[in-house]
Amino acid sequence: MTGPFSLIVTDTSPLFTLVLAGSFDVLLRPGIAVSIPDAVYIEVTRVHGAPGAEQIVEWINAHLEAVRIVPTEIGIDQQRRLEEGRSIRRLGEQAAIETLERFLRSDPAAEALLLFEDSAVGKRRAVVDQRVSLISTGDFLRELETAGMIQSTDHILDLAAAQGRNVERRREANEDSTTRERLREQLHRNRDGD
Amino acid sequence: MQPELREALVRQYAGGEITWHELRERGFDNYVQVLAGLGEFGLRPPIAPMEGPNLAARERGRAIIREALRARP
Repeated sequence: MTGPFSLIVTDTSPLFTLVLAGSFDVLLRPGIAVSIPDAVYIEVTRVHGAPGAEQIVEWINAHLEAVRIVPTEIGIDQQRRLEEGRSIRRLGEQAAIETLERFLRSDPAAEALLLFEDSAVGKRRAVVDQRVSLISTGDFLRELETAGMIQSTDHILDLAAAQGRNVERRREANEDSTTRERLREQLHRNRDGD
Repeated sequence: MQPELREALVRQYAGGEITWHELRERGFDNYVQVLAGLGEFGLRPPIAPMEGPNLAARERGRAIIREALRARP
């Protein structure tokens, strides 16, 4: 690495996996600057009931020297779509492409590493530029495991799945209780109206 | 989404047969729901085998991380 180097997060899944497993700090272990496109950041922090949102905000603020949210035109489009209630699918990935292009344009010696979700990285060709390399969440964790910096890749992935289940259970319980409360209010109103 | 369909999709995802993007097209709203499904059925997120169209770029990526970790104090 001779020029500027950045690890660009292309999707919400690596962030959710690491934050739910309580292993967010592993992203910084290699000492490479992390760029999160704004559309990915918005997508990951807008999931209702997910504990990841607050943790991600806290984590980014605690590591501003190493992590940055990158504004993109796709991010502006995402805001507009959210306001209009339209789909924002795949905008995170498009914002990552825009982030990558801007970064590579900024310096001819710039190099980037794109962090992908595993199921995406194996299926379609993602990179043609020799200045760009790829890593999946699983590849990343395996390198940390080999370096003795985490105990086990499988353990982190298992923790993420288990915690994801807990989050969904809590969300469903909250939704049930909200529905019950609304029903109770409705019944009260009907009774008062009689 | 029908529970049977949800389970089938989550199992296919864990087995590397379909992608997270395909799950989105089929009704999963966010990745927390995917992790929740994996946890429910005792599965874990898949790790892509070292093969396929991005192999060279992935090998470069792993080498970069390896070198960076080695260079850390």
